[in-house]
Amino acid sequence: MEKARAKILIIDDDPDFRDAITPILHSASYDAITASNPEEGKKKILSEKPDLILLDIMMDSLFDGFSLCHAIKTSKEFKSVQNTPVIFISAVKEVTGSRFQFKGDQEGMEGPDDYIDKPVKADDLIERIERLLKK
Amino acid sequence: MQEKNHSVVVIDDEESMRDSCRMILEKDGFLTETAEDGKKGLEKVKEMNPDIALVDLKMPGIGGLDVIEKIKEISPDTVPIVITGYATVESAVEAMKKGAYDFLPKPFTPEQLRVIIKRGLEKIKLFREAESLRKEKKLIEENFITMVSHQLRSPLVAIAQYFEVMLSGYVGEMSKEHKDMLSKARNRVESLLELINDWLDAARIDKGQLVEKFKPVSLHNILKKQIEFLQPIAEKNKINLEIEPPTGKSTIRGDKETLEQAFANLLNNAVKYNKPNGSVTISFREKDDCIITDIKDTGVGIDKKHIPQLFNQFFRVNRSEGKQGKGSGLGLSISKKIIDAHSGRIDVSSTLGKGSTFSVTLPKHKKATD
Repeated sequence: MEKARAKILIIDDDPDFRDAITPILHSASYDAITASNPEEGKKKILSEKPDLILLDIMMDSLFDGFSLCHAIKTSKEFKSVQNTPVIFISAVKEVTGSRFQFKGDQEGMEGPDDYIDKPVKADDLIERIERLLKK
Repeated sequence: MQEKNHSVVVIDDEESMRDSCRMILEKDGFLTETAEDGKKGLEKVKEMNPDIALVDLKMPGIGGLDVIEKIKEISPDTVPIVITGYATVESAVEAMKKGAYDFLPKPFTPEQLRVIIKRGLEKIKLFREAESLRKEKKLIEENFITMVSHQLRSPLVAIAQYFEVMLSGYVGEMSKEHKDMLSKARNRVESLLELINDWLDAARIDKGQLVEKFKPVSLHNILKKQIEFLQPIAEKNKINLEIEPPTGKSTIRGDKETLEQAFANLLNNAVKYNKPNGSVTISFREKDDCIITDIKDTGVGIDKKHIPQLFNQFFRVNRSEGKQGKGSGLGLSISKKIIDAHSGRIDVSSTLGKGSTFSVTLPKHKKATD
């Protein structure tokens, strides 16, 4: 029996980053769809119902990755898709320089299911996606 | 001087003094308020935040010196100027120490009052200009850091990502030569990214901001955590990592995250510049009111002549063994900056060929409850 291919949505404002990630997803037999900003991402989450979302944090937009993630997990608008796993992909570093860690509790924001630093290692990315899709 | 917006509070118990000051100042367009004693004067100062407060030193109730001290607290922008009948050098010096800007001995002419007020206003102007320049500069710096962080990193990350995908073979097989060259290109891009990260870290360590985040932290816990992180790399290089628990408490006041970074850099070096089957030992000792953390390695050691430059940015010891370590050359300077910000210091002792000990001295937390 053929398993349905999982659909991954990449939301990132850097076209090169989207281009470079897509072949990795294809190689692991995922369908890859992309959005170049949080607004477009919002629309695609609702229309395409992806199985997992790769989300950039710092985009040139006020409504950034943090806000979008929080919205997916908590707002009524996203109720039908609120269990979709979200992985933050970001080059953002903490002010002090230690690795990025989400501190949702302190900010009163819902955090992602996982996060990966850019540039992303291909095997690492696939492993993390697999883990979340199995849940 | 016709600057209507400027305000002055005159605090003097002599009515004639208050009235004549008011007359002169109002004529010159100052918004003027008077008070006959320190208590009322301070209320007026609190209310108006005046540009200048003229304070008589000898008054019943709260004395002039105390009034000046209080003015500095409740209205730091106000410039206090002392007016007094018994103008002796000692009282002038005392008043200046408490924060008075200038001194006007009684009796004075309207012209003398004008001159001194004008000087006070000039000081305010300079102070405010300096303050706004300082704020602007800080903003520019912060924006610059964010700008560099995003604009400079993004293209490099994209390049590194393309290399990664090609090298993973997801877009077709390459010849060995292609792969070799591409991995070299990837390594160069990755060390450039690392350099930018380190440089940003160094730029962001601001002592003032750090101190605000200080909390009691346990050095033992910080070091234990760093050892866990390093264990896989140490095992790969066959290096034994050991930590001897402190005999007493190891609590200091500091910022956990930056301290972790400072020690991570030191430990990284201890592992990176070690020999196979070598070891890194961490131990703690107390001296005076400080806790000293010793990080001892059995590595290649550092030539005495290089030790003074060790903490300079971008300084790298030339290693003859061809064991060119990766890294930006900023690690130690960042560690030093962090430890400095914690009022501590790093000492190095080393024997070429035998190993080095980096000793980090940090002031102990006074009410330690480790």
